[in-house]
Amino acid sequence: MTKHLEIRLSGSGGQGLLLSARILAQAFASEGASVSQSQSYEPTSRGGLSRADLVIDGVRPDFPLAEKLDYLLVLHQCAAGASDEIINDDMTALIDSELVTEPPAGKFKVKALPLTRTAREIGNVRIANIVALGALAGLSRMIDRERLEDTVRKGVPPKFLDLNLEALEAGYRLAEESRDN
Amino acid sequence: MSKQRLQNIPGNHACALGAVAAGCRFYAGYPITPSSEVAERMSAELPKVGGMFVQMEDEIASMGAVIGASMGGVKAMTATSGPGFSLKQENLGYAAQAEIPCVIINVMRGGPSTGMPTRPAQGDIMQARWGTHGDHPIIVVAPDSVAEIYSETIRAFALSERLRVPVVVLYDEVVGHLIETVDLQPAPEEQLASRKWAEGPREGFLPYRADADMVPPFPRPGDGFRTHTTGLTHDENGFPTQAHERVEAVIGRLLGKLDRHKELIESYEAVGCEDAEVIVTAIGISARAAKKAVATARKNGIKAGLFRPITLWPFPEEAFRKLSAGASAVVVPEMNAGQLALELERFAPGKVSALTRYDGEHIDPSQILKRIEEVLS
Amino acid sequence: MNEISADSFDINEYLRLELFPHFLCPGCGHGMAMRAMLWAVAELGIDKDNLAIVSGIGCSGRMGAYVDANTFHVTHGRPLAFATGLKLARPDLTVIVITGDGDSLAIGGNHLIHACRRNLDITCLMLNNEIYGMTGGQVSPTTTLTRFTTTTPYGNYEPAFDACRLAEAAGASFVGREATLQVPTLKNLIREGIEHKGFSFLEVISDCTEIYGRKNALGNSPEMVLSQKSKMRPESYGGLMSNKVDQPFRPNPFQTGVLARNERQEYGELCRRHIAAKQQAE
Ligand SMILES: Cc1ncc(C[n+]2csc(CCOP(=O)(O)OP(=O)(O)O)c2C)c(N)n1
Ligand code: SF4
Ligand SMILES: [Mg+2]
Repeated sequence: MTKHLEIRLSGSGGQGLLLSARILAQAFASEGASVSQSQSYEPTSRGGLSRADLVIDGVRPDFPLAEKLDYLLVLHQCAAGASDEIINDDMTALIDSELVTEPPAGKFKVKALPLTRTAREIGNVRIANIVALGALAGLSRMIDRERLEDTVRKGVPPKFLDLNLEALEAGYRLAEESRDN
Repeated sequence: MSKQRLQNIPGNHACALGAVAAGCRFYAGYPITPSSEVAERMSAELPKVGGMFVQMEDEIASMGAVIGASMGGVKAMTATSGPGFSLKQENLGYAAQAEIPCVIINVMRGGPSTGMPTRPAQGDIMQARWGTHGDHPIIVVAPDSVAEIYSETIRAFALSERLRVPVVVLYDEVVGHLIETVDLQPAPEEQLASRKWAEGPREGFLPYRADADMVPPFPRPGDGFRTHTTGLTHDENGFPTQAHERVEAVIGRLLGKLDRHKELIESYEAVGCEDAEVIVTAIGISARAAKKAVATARKNGIKAGLFRPITLWPFPEEAFRKLSAGASAVVVPEMNAGQLALELERFAPGKVSALTRYDGEHIDPSQILKRIEEVLS
Repeated sequence: MNEISADSFDINEYLRLELFPHFLCPGCGHGMAMRAMLWAVAELGIDKDNLAIVSGIGCSGRMGAYVDANTFHVTHGRPLAFATGLKLARPDLTVIVITGDGDSLAIGGNHLIHACRRNLDITCLMLNNEIYGMTGGQVSPTTTLTRFTTTTPYGNYEPAFDACRLAEAAGASFVGREATLQVPTLKNLIREGIEHKGFSFLEVISDCTEIYGRKNALGNSPEMVLSQKSKMRPESYGGLMSNKVDQPFRPNPFQTGVLARNERQEYGELCRRHIAAKQQAE
């Protein structure tokens, strides 16, 4: 039976977090899980706080929104304080070591990884959302890796597929390396 | 169950697909957050099935075009939010008065005025009922999940066509943008029928002479009836009258029509109300929170129940009265200053505890649970 | 189409006589416009079953009810919006909109320009009596300068619209103006407008004898109608709108006849082609 999981991907508008969330949701759905996805955005399409939440369960949950996060991604400083009501000691936070200077405070596990920098090294900062997805999946092992790669293959345009797969791979690598130390 | 029937889509898309499944073949609208995805999806879907999509110059025009298409005999719909819903009210009253079937989607956002375009609210509960002027019949359905948006949009068309009354599908931004799994099953056969068409002799035909079911058959333009349709108060012949004894009869039928078909219209979900000491009543995302709160309360040994109106207007009054009779309190979580609570106070006087919020954020199950505990202590 | 002489045109065939006496004041210009319209319909041999009249609110709007056809009396300013839906849903119907100067240029101005832009096959008869007749005679967007109305008790100082130039600029593919003074000529113009495939905007110079006439001492009905003559430039009949019209607002005396015409793509066909292409691709 699928475990109940609550995941939030947060950052600044234009960082592509809705796409990462959609890919992750599709991957879970293809496993037969029930996925509830919600998002919040500011009136401007670029910049400003943006977040996407996934609530994963075996059956459709009574309440489809996040209440107590298991995983929180913070990809930009502007999102650091936006989840105060649902963070908790049992969760893991993954933050961008470059763009988040004051991470959310708490007794939970925090992993600060160079997600944006890695994306820049690959050749495109805008792929940081996928690096982050890889890193989050690598840290949490919440989803089967092949399944996630498969979903990326189906979900992104062929032109950008190689770049996306490379970014996902780089994310997994960041997670592996951080596990060692 | 076929695979592609199960889809993970936002509520607004489910709404558009429900409309198409219901046989809607005309959409007119004017973009507004957070309802625009309905229009966008309709513009993609309608051409595939031979339907018309038109983006009008404003919401007034949209509502007019929808009624126009329906006067032509085609199932028609529009979608909007807050300010746009206000603009549609005048023509919505026309549809009620002239008994033109049509479906209006209102995805609720923070108000008043331009308010908070991207933030959810449930502040149009009363406007949906009383937004247009004059006593008028209207049906409002209030789905709380993506799957229910799909099925309720279909039902909205069925009710609208069957009873010749405008039907509003009312849900908040959260549910409109929420992505959940929906089974895109074909519309149930009994919900697919168009309105009752006028038949028989053209000579002496009275367009507003109702059958025993209080609903007059619809004269399709081109079928030779050559009738008159007006927003003026009209007699059975369709022409204006202000003779008080006639007006009483024709408005009486207009208002009585929904009462006659209460059973068809009524829909609600009741969970654990029979022995409940406290009942929670809500719609939309607040109802989803209530569901969880009630389940948690039960686990904690509290006798809590959920009463969720799916048809919000006319409110399922009798059922609510009956099911709440034994409870000592009714908790009403809603994202407004207490609109639904005000209505429920009439049916459960002195028992209602409104849990309101209007800051653009949803209500959490934990807040409801806390209120349940408070009202029992 | 067959010409029907003034004597042999039987208007009663197109009326709901059971509703008479009608609601218009004696001498009201709107009645003459109605005669011209029905005469055009008769000459074109349009089946009453397939004729739809959509009218707004106003004395002009009330006229629709007297026509023995599919008649829709809708909300103030919105008949073009309703008609857009009706015509898109039912291209088989001949759709005529009857509107007033207030109905179409004030509250419904936005709908008018967009109807012109879309160019859907509708004929719009705008009965311009320069006043809000129905509500007792307030100033309208076409009231002549210095004229008295109930809301311009010291004379009107607002500039008026030239509705035809507005319609042409907004894209109407057929634009014409005629006065109730010459019903046969008006009939011909309406006929051409109905025959034209696309949006036809026809301004009909009509008289509100009861209010506008009285308030401005314009005489009774015959005098008012005859005075239209001095306001018109019939010599321009048939000519297209030229840059001779150089005043920013309604020229007075004004041009009559067909003022603009082109064969721009009709909107309904555009929609249907779009749909057919999409269905083929599916
Ligand atoms: C929303 C709304 N506002 C105002 C009115 C009142 N009203 C009815 S007719 C009319 C003006 C009609 O003038 P016009 O279109 O020139 O028609 P006429 O009576 O002159 O033929 C007005 C303001 C209304 N019915 N609806
Ligand atoms: S008030 Fe004026 S416009 Fe209205 S019917 Fe009388 S004369 Fe005609
Ligand atoms: Mg007028």
